[in-house]
Amino acid sequence: MQTNTFVTLSSRIAMIDLVASASTDRGWIWLHTHSQTNYTIRMIEIQNLSKNIGKRRIVNDLSLSIKKGTVFGFLGPNGAGKTTTIKMLVGLNRPTSGSIQIDGKAPTDSITRETIGFMPEAPYFYDHLTGLEFLRFCGQLFHTPKTEDDYTSLLHMVGLSEAKDRRVTTYSKGMKQRLGFAQALVNDPEYVFLDEPLDGLDPIGRRELKKIIVGLKKEGRTIFFNSHILFDTEELCDEIGILHRGSLLYAGPVTTFTKGHSLEEAFVTTIENLDSTI
Amino acid sequence: MKHTHLTRIFVVAKNTFKESVRDKVFYALFAFAFVAITFTIFLGSISLDEDLHIVRSLGLAGIYLFGVLITVFLGTSLMYKEIERRTLYFILSKPISHGQVIAGKFLGLFSSVALSIAGMTIIYLGVVWYSGGGFDTLGLLAIFFEIIEVGLLIALSIFFSTFSKPLPSIVYALLVIYIGHSLGMLVDFTKRGSALAHDVVQGLYYVLPNLEKFDIRDLVLYGNAPSLTAVFLVILYATIYTIILLAGGALLLQKREF
Repeated sequence: MQTNTFVTLSSRIAMIDLVASASTDRGWIWLHTHSQTNYTIRMIEIQNLSKNIGKRRIVNDLSLSIKKGTVFGFLGPNGAGKTTTIKMLVGLNRPTSGSIQIDGKAPTDSITRETIGFMPEAPYFYDHLTGLEFLRFCGQLFHTPKTEDDYTSLLHMVGLSEAKDRRVTTYSKGMKQRLGFAQALVNDPEYVFLDEPLDGLDPIGRRELKKIIVGLKKEGRTIFFNSHILFDTEELCDEIGILHRGSLLYAGPVTTFTKGHSLEEAFVTTIENLDSTI
Repeated sequence: MKHTHLTRIFVVAKNTFKESVRDKVFYALFAFAFVAITFTIFLGSISLDEDLHIVRSLGLAGIYLFGVLITVFLGTSLMYKEIERRTLYFILSKPISHGQVIAGKFLGLFSSVALSIAGMTIIYLGVVWYSGGGFDTLGLLAIFFEIIEVGLLIALSIFFSTFSKPLPSIVYALLVIYIGHSLGMLVDFTKRGSALAHDVVQGLYYVLPNLEKFDIRDLVLYGNAPSLTAVFLVILYATIYTIILLAGGALLLQKREF
């Protein structure tokens, strides 16, 4: 999968509606087989993960298994510990106790970080770089950097081809969000971690990014994202995890949690009931 | 082309270089330096038969001063800006170590400050030539020593910026520069005072960088040059001190929670 270029990636994503007929595409067959073969081997494994910041426990004894090729939505109210968890998953912070393994290796291991992409929440950028320069900079930090065509295709895929030579300071919030998303895909990652990826996007932007996420899933990539936008989460996710005050309340299929209600309804009821008992 | 650990350092360095040479502070200080160095022609002309000495003395001091100002203003905010604006999240979630990031930042800023000093040097050489001093080879040696000192000061500024906000970092850096240039004098001065004061200053003498080692401006103004051994020892001293500061900065960055 690492050898696939963004040209094929973007063209496949542009044809999401034609995915069934895309089985004739040699690349798709290969990816499909590839992801099937590794389905049970490759995964994200979190065991008894805890994180203290100062004297405060932010994440408490979290254990989760996320299968390869799934979209996992990590939900929770503000301050639940979602961002702290995702920062540990991408190797930015170290756990106080417990462990994280991605394909059997710790995210602090640089080999693991070759295979992951991360988009931080409300990303900031270097003021004096253009979108293309920033993407090139991110790409060059990996063992096998992409070509100029790959960077351009990736920017095209997230709808920034017109603005690629403009300085990032001139970008709107939504454009910055798209650029943040593009840099998370710059290494053709197996695992994509997104912190509030749909925040700040207009409905069209949200639809486009969701389309890309669906495309990535179809290619066998694993997507882990934090979100407050429950409607989109319900639409995208195979499984969800609900975190409250640092502890995991639920992890599993969306339908098992919602029991016929909407995700928003089920989520709000669960959190409110829990808060009222404390 | 596969990217090795070393190439990643250069990728960060290239980005830092681009960022710093596109910074308004960089241009403002460079423009000010241009005016100040050119102004030495006027100052030289109003001095009595000391035109060239004044031009060279103020020119070399000017290059040093503006080199230090660019270093301190850009260097002290370098890592802090990355941490505060969370751009570091993009970098550290990629396969690059904290040490490589610090080394890249250092090389990038060092290149841009060295470039600005090179620019100032061209102006200086022109001004000295215009004042009848010909090609100032010894002046170039003094500027080379200034560049080595600036390298150490960049490492110092980066070290401070890994744990402190820019304003306190500027104060710390300027204090170290001031003390670093006064250490020899302070040691001599306290020899006549209390033993405790002398011990404290002696301790500082060994811990803080002795920046007087890099100041050969007076030496070259009177036509003298340091020996090759002295040049080698100064480079070695600066290299070791710089590596220690960068390693300290990398360690502090690694311990930091994001």
